[in-house]
Amino acid sequence: MDFRFDIVTDYMPFFLQGLKVTLGVSLAGVLAGLILGLFIALGKMSTNRWVRLPFNIYINIFRGTPLLVQLLIIHFGVVPLFMTPSNPVVSLVIGLSLNAAAYIAEIFRAGIQSIDKGQMEAARSLGMTRVQAMKLVILPQAFKRVIPPLGNEFIVLLKESSLGSVLAAPELMYWGRAAAGQYIRVWEPYLTVALIYLVLTLSLTYLMNYVERRLSTDDQR
Amino acid sequence: MISVKNLKKSFGDNEVLKDISLDVSPQEVVVVIGPSGSGKSTFIRCLNMLETIDGGHVIVDGKDLTDKKTNINKVRTDVGMVFQHFNLFPHKTILENVTLAPINVRGVKKSEAEEKARILLAKVGLAEKASAYPDSLSGGQKQRVAIARALAMEPKVMLFDEPTSALDPEMVGEVLEVMKQLAKDGMTMIVVTHEMGFAREVGDRVIFMDNGYVVEQNEPKALFDAPQHERTKSFLSKVL
Repeated sequence: MDFRFDIVTDYMPFFLQGLKVTLGVSLAGVLAGLILGLFIALGKMSTNRWVRLPFNIYINIFRGTPLLVQLLIIHFGVVPLFMTPSNPVVSLVIGLSLNAAAYIAEIFRAGIQSIDKGQMEAARSLGMTRVQAMKLVILPQAFKRVIPPLGNEFIVLLKESSLGSVLAAPELMYWGRAAAGQYIRVWEPYLTVALIYLVLTLSLTYLMNYVERRLSTDDQR
Repeated sequence: MISVKNLKKSFGDNEVLKDISLDVSPQEVVVVIGPSGSGKSTFIRCLNMLETIDGGHVIVDGKDLTDKKTNINKVRTDVGMVFQHFNLFPHKTILENVTLAPINVRGVKKSEAEEKARILLAKVGLAEKASAYPDSLSGGQKQRVAIARALAMEPKVMLFDEPTSALDPEMVGEVLEVMKQLAKDGMTMIVVTHEMGFAREVGDRVIFMDNGYVVEQNEPKALFDAPQHERTKSFLSKVL
C-alpha cells in the first residue's frame, strides 16, 4: 500500500479549520454542559419529589437515547422552529450541551453526595442557609472529587463532536469525510483525523491530570 | 434559656425520643449521660433542629423551633455545636474554618473576624496553627478548633455531642480542659458525654437518659453517689 502524503498536505488547511470548529464546539459544549449539569444536579437532589421529577425525566431521556438521534431531532426538528436556515454548528453545540449536561449532572450529584453528611450539618449548625453551605462548604470539596470523571466526560464530548459531520457542521470529521469522498481514499484522511483526535484527547488527559494534582497539593499541607 | 416540652422523635417505626421535657437556665452546664441508643445524641440534635421534631416544643431563647415562622438559621447563630467527628472544613485553613461563618452569616468584616479568630485560637491553645489545614492536626487539636469555630459566632448556648468519643485517650484531657474553662466563663452548655469525671466535676446537673426517656436527673454528686432508679444504678455500676 502506498500512503499518499500529498492528500494529507493538500487537505491540511481544511483539517486545521475543522480542528478550530471542533475545539470551539467542544469548549462551548463543556461550558454549557457544566452550568446546566450543576443546575440539574441540584434540582435532582431537591427534597421535594415533584421538583425532582422533571430533572429525573431529563436525565433519563438524554442518557437513554443515542446522541446521533438527539442531534438529528434538534437540527432538523427543533432548531428550525427558531432560526431559518438552521445552522449545523449551532445545532451541534445545543445537542452536545444538552447531552453532556445529563451526564455531568450525575457526576456532580455523585460528587456532592460523596461529601460527608457532617460537613452540611456543621455548616448549618453555624447558621448558614442551605445555599450558603452548598456554595462555601460542599461544592468546593465536591469539585475536587469530580475532576477525574469530568475529564472522562470532556474526552467523550470531544470525540462525540465528530457526529456533527452528519449534520454537515464543518468540524474535523466533516473534512475527513470530504477528503475521503474527493480522493476515494480511506487511509489518508481517516488516519489523519484519528491522529488529530488522539493528540487532542491526550492533551486533555494531561491537562486534567495537572489540574487534579494542583488542586490536591493546594489544600493538604 | 432552653425549654423542651414533651419532645417526641421517631425514625420510621423506631421511636427514639418518647416524651422529653427539660429546662436549662442561663449559665447552667447540663450533662446528658446514658447507654448507646438511649436517644441522647438525637435529643441534643433536636435542640438546633439538625433533626426534625415530630412532637412537642423546643424553645430556645424565647423562640419556638417548631413554629413555622421561626427562622431556624437565625436561631442556630445563637446555638453553637461541637460534633463527635469534628466536621472541620478540610478545604479551608484553621483560621478560615473559624472566620467562615462570622464573615458570611454575621457579615463581620474579614479583618475583624480574623482578629477575633486569632484570640479564640489562642484561647484553645492553637494560635500557631492558624494557617495550617485540618488534615495536619491531631484529633484533640481538631476538636479544639471546632470549639473555637462555634464560639466565633458568639453563641448563647453551646451543644456538645460526644466531643471526646472519637479521640485517642491521651487527647481527651486537652479538649475537656477547654470545655471546663468555657463553663467557668459562664457559657450555657449541654454536653452529651461518656466522661463521668467531667460530668461530676463540671456539671451543674446530670441527666440520665434511657430508651427515649429522661429516667433521672439530679446534681452530679447526688446522682452518682445515690442514684434512685434501678436502671441508673445498673448503668452507673458498669461505667464507674
